[in-house]
Amino acid sequence: MKRQRTIKKTFISWLAVLTLSFGCVERIEFDIPPARLQIVVEGTITSDPGPYTVKVSEGISLDANSPESTPIEGLSIDLFDSEGAFEAFTETAPGTYQTGGFIQGEVGHSYYIRIETADGKIYESEPDTIEPVGEIVGIGYEYEARTVEGSLEDLPADVFNIYADGNAGPKDQNLFRLRFTGTYEVLTYPELNLTTPRTYLPYKTPFPCSGSVVVGYNEDGSIAAGGRLLQVDECTCCTCWAKQYEPAPQLADNQLLLDNEYRNIKVGEVPINNATFYNKYLVELEQMSMTRTSFEYFRLIKLQKENASSLFQSTFGEIIGNIKGVNTEETIIGLFWATSIAKKHIFIDKTEVPYTLTPIEIKPFRCYDSYPNASNIKPEAWQ
Amino acid sequence: MKKIWFILLICTGQWAHAQDIISFELKSHHVNRPLTTVLDQISQESNGNIFFLNEWITNLTFKNDQIGVSLGNALDQLFEGTDLTFLNMYSNTLVIIKDPTQALLRRSILEQAKKDGQKITAIKLGEENQINPAKKVTITGQVVDWNTNEPLAFATIQANDTLASIAADQQGKFSIVLNQGLYFLRFNYLGYQEKVIDLEATSDGMIKVAMEKQFTELEEIVVEGTQRKDLAVASIGKSVINMRELKRLPAFLGEADMVKQIQVQAGVTTVGEAATGFNVRGGSVDQNLILLDGLPIFNSSHVFGFLTSINPDAISDVTFYKGGISAQYGGRASSVLDIKSKDGNYDKWKVKAGIGMVTSNITANGPLDDGKTSLAASFRSTYSNWLVRSIRTNYADLSNSSVFFYDGLVKLTHIYSDKTKLSITGYSSQDSFSISGDSTFQWSNFQASAKLDHQFSANLGSEFTLGQSIYQYKVLNEDVRTASVLAFKVSTTTANADFHYEQDDHKLNFGIQLSYYQFEPGKFKPLSEASNAASIALDQQYSIENALYFTDEWTINDKFFVETGIRIPTFISFGSASVNIYAENSPRQITDKTGVIDFNKGEIIKSYINLEPRLSARWMLNSSSSFKIGYNRIFQYLHLVTNTAAATPQDIWQPSGYYFKPQRSDQISIGYSKEFQQQKYGITTEAFYKTIKNTLDFKDGAELILNDHLETELLQGKGLSYGFETSVFKNEGRLTGNVNYTYSRAFRRVDSPILGRSINSGNRFSANFDQPHIVNLSWKYNLSTRHFFTGTFTYHTGRPVTIPLSAYNVEAQPVAYFSGRNGYRIPDYHRMDLALVIECNHKKTNKIKGTWVISVYNVYGRKNPYSIFFQNSGLGVPIPYQLSIIGTAFPSISYNIEF
Repeated sequence: MKRQRTIKKTFISWLAVLTLSFGCVERIEFDIPPARLQIVVEGTITSDPGPYTVKVSEGISLDANSPESTPIEGLSIDLFDSEGAFEAFTETAPGTYQTGGFIQGEVGHSYYIRIETADGKIYESEPDTIEPVGEIVGIGYEYEARTVEGSLEDLPADVFNIYADGNAGPKDQNLFRLRFTGTYEVLTYPELNLTTPRTYLPYKTPFPCSGSVVVGYNEDGSIAAGGRLLQVDECTCCTCWAKQYEPAPQLADNQLLLDNEYRNIKVGEVPINNATFYNKYLVELEQMSMTRTSFEYFRLIKLQKENASSLFQSTFGEIIGNIKGVNTEETIIGLFWATSIAKKHIFIDKTEVPYTLTPIEIKPFRCYDSYPNASNIKPEAWQ
Repeated sequence: MKKIWFILLICTGQWAHAQDIISFELKSHHVNRPLTTVLDQISQESNGNIFFLNEWITNLTFKNDQIGVSLGNALDQLFEGTDLTFLNMYSNTLVIIKDPTQALLRRSILEQAKKDGQKITAIKLGEENQINPAKKVTITGQVVDWNTNEPLAFATIQANDTLASIAADQQGKFSIVLNQGLYFLRFNYLGYQEKVIDLEATSDGMIKVAMEKQFTELEEIVVEGTQRKDLAVASIGKSVINMRELKRLPAFLGEADMVKQIQVQAGVTTVGEAATGFNVRGGSVDQNLILLDGLPIFNSSHVFGFLTSINPDAISDVTFYKGGISAQYGGRASSVLDIKSKDGNYDKWKVKAGIGMVTSNITANGPLDDGKTSLAASFRSTYSNWLVRSIRTNYADLSNSSVFFYDGLVKLTHIYSDKTKLSITGYSSQDSFSISGDSTFQWSNFQASAKLDHQFSANLGSEFTLGQSIYQYKVLNEDVRTASVLAFKVSTTTANADFHYEQDDHKLNFGIQLSYYQFEPGKFKPLSEASNAASIALDQQYSIENALYFTDEWTINDKFFVETGIRIPTFISFGSASVNIYAENSPRQITDKTGVIDFNKGEIIKSYINLEPRLSARWMLNSSSSFKIGYNRIFQYLHLVTNTAAATPQDIWQPSGYYFKPQRSDQISIGYSKEFQQQKYGITTEAFYKTIKNTLDFKDGAELILNDHLETELLQGKGLSYGFETSVFKNEGRLTGNVNYTYSRAFRRVDSPILGRSINSGNRFSANFDQPHIVNLSWKYNLSTRHFFTGTFTYHTGRPVTIPLSAYNVEAQPVAYFSGRNGYRIPDYHRMDLALVIECNHKKTNKIKGTWVISVYNVYGRKNPYSIFFQNSGLGVPIPYQLSIIGTAFPSISYNIEF
């Protein structure tokens, strides 16, 4: 894959030469339907206890600056199982629908949902079966020194490679996914936030969540420039936990298995820097069973995410989900899939890094605004 | 006395067809006797009068089968094809007269030809005492180049202007059946002076017609009569590229190019400016068979399709077939581009050189001994580095980039006798480019062939060809840490035996063609010990493609011509090889692999034998219009595997085998051609309907390079294309040119009940090159005999693409939602090119002939999108950008010299 990308890059470089010489590259606009007309569904039922969630939203414009999607509210959604039972979802937040716990996902059973909009359009997913899943036996990691090309010199880009051992489900044909999620604790200094007007000197404006306020005098009684910070409450946005998601779904199949077991397969990479190892790094791994339908869906997503942007990249097509209109031809995107999940997690302490990292960068902002996918809610597994 | 009567009777005008004397039935004593005697006898027996001149009807006799036939009908039969006829006056008088029309026309044509400075060759076949106007004679012969003796394929022959034209065959051979008598024969071939033969034919005979290339000796504007397209007699779906006119057309960077000329033919499209190859009637790039002296060329491009890798100065004939393809050709489903190299001159040495902005070329040819051996050599290379490096740009690597290509062709020909000729041809081309700090990209063609032409008898001729061709590409990575080379290679060994047999109205072509292919589908290895690159070598693949063929070109009469043919191709793919086996009814992903079958060396993996019927027919409605029909079935066993819209040099050829069935194309085409005002104007229109089985398509996101399980990435489906093409020509006058319009559609469908083995949910989708509306216009305005203002305009609907429509989140990661395969189109393509051609004085005495071509490509600087590609937006999803390769007007100048 990497090799192919290199070759393509070469070809593109040559075309770039021609293009720079005589041609040009510019954005091309097509007359496409508005993204908001597309309904997106994302939902899962597992063999774990519920509630199970379905999120429904509008498509996002390609020109949007934020991945935030507009939720679709007021839908009527029902969950059906292969035994004839059904349960209605309740909208717990805008566009987020949850079951109440009546139906419990079971291995071997199939499930589908029916969505009805306020104007009577009905959509249904194809039944998806919860396949048995094996277990993750162990997670290991290994340090690797790396560099990336910088503008002047190569820059360090060391990582911990994460490996896993485990076994697949009991079936002959085992399709499963290994979902890697990393979490690391970070620290910021929202109390040090400054406001910098054009014509005046900066002055202190600590974020309210920092628990600090500005008062006029220093502790020694002198007047401080812009005032003195005084901690009056607990800081709720100084520490947070940032998530690192896998760049593309990692899918596994019989190819990885020997006697139905997998050994030492790479499931992720943890970048080493003063943020990820400010404290320690939580590696969570989920082994999720799949049907052929969900496997194909995530395989296409994986291909799209992994292929570099290039002129001669292979063409992508529709990522076909399993939801279709019953009484309407309107486009609906997404998947409602059934899975059973095996989980395991480990921590990598900063002492595992074979050298001393520089102190974490001082950022005078709210923690969860300063790192990607960050939240001030401590993960369950964090000890 | 009878002559006086005749004149008197004509003058009175009181003549009319009578019943009595012409109803007189012939008896047995009237046959097989001199007509003069018989007519006197009938005068007496019928109590009527018959007037005639003895010398007109010498040697004519009634035959046995005319016993019982009325005199009128018998005379009609006897005079058919002659200039004799008869008049009936009153009820009992019959006057035999000569219709002066033909004689006067013939005389006027010959006089005009002499006046125009045309050489008229008088040929007499047979003796005067053999004259029997009722007797048919067969004139056979061959049309050749006066200088090189090369046959002029498909030259046209017309007798007396009023009779229908015929076309010579590929070897320049022709056969025409005439009544005994006097004729003038016109021979025409594009780019050559018309040849007129004053023929007196009283017996069968063979003539050799040597035509000279067109040089105007008059210093005044003349009407060009040799650019006639001979639309009415041309076979359906066939066209001949005029190499002389090709060089007068505007061209990018001033480089004349024959594939570019093919791309403006009706029914032919290309996906973009830098796209290798062309698409014919809804067929993909790999469905075009490109032959150089009978051997296949797998990549005919320099610099990714900007130029063709064969120097046009080394070429004598280029014939392009897109419908009604003869059974002599096979192996590619859509079209044939048959390129013949030039023989050297047998009389004197000639050198031709050209200097352009990007390339220079030199061609030399001449005799090696006493007119029996000739050598022709041409070489072309580039010095385009200066162009790339001299451009001021912020693109840092540009100043250190290099681009290089060359092509060369050498042909040695020896004539052993009138019946035997041996040609040995060597051809090589190579491209290489590198970008500073990156990889070097190389691809090359090599061919060596020997061809023996032998005429066994007047009726039976043959060609034996033996050759080897190799196409390969390499990608060299020179980075110290990952230094590596990626290589692909296909070599073809070809042995052909082709025979031509002529008998009466039939021309039979038959033969056997053998090809042995050896594929190296991918090798990757480190270039140094310090390199971290892995070493990978995919298994070689071996196959044999053979074909037996037979065609019969039958000229039923002046109106009907039919070419029927049958081709029986066989294809065998054999080991050694290991073939993956997948679970039944699975999506056939590598995850579905259940085992491996090993085939030993030489063991057959898969074999195919098929039958390909061919038909091409022409019905001359009159001497200037014809109706045509063609049908061909063709199997294709080699497939170009690509997952991009435009073919690239790194695409790989894959033979049919265990998983990939041969493609099968069935095409029916019908056409109508009409010429007006003595071929001054012409119109031709053709409609076609083509289905293709087992087209090869890729799965979304397929990875093809160094993939040893390509069957998991490719799918086979069905193709459908249909459309019509109309071309209008103006062949004479100061302004000549043509305009053509094509409406055509090309679709694909890959449908399977098995998940993951459909494209576009099994729905029909537009092929990459589905461009419904195509307009091409080309013209030449003669400012003088040596100055031409030429231009071309091309328009086609934008090609289909697959684009992202929106984004959505999957587990907090944004993902693009793409349209169905090829659901949208890039903007339409249009471009105008202009050129001013200044040729030297055309006097034959000029020892040095030079030509300047000043051209502007893309005159109005249209930013035509070559393709779209995607760059990640701030959201992290791909958004489409268009790439315009030549987004500005591009002037160029070139100079060619010949001495």
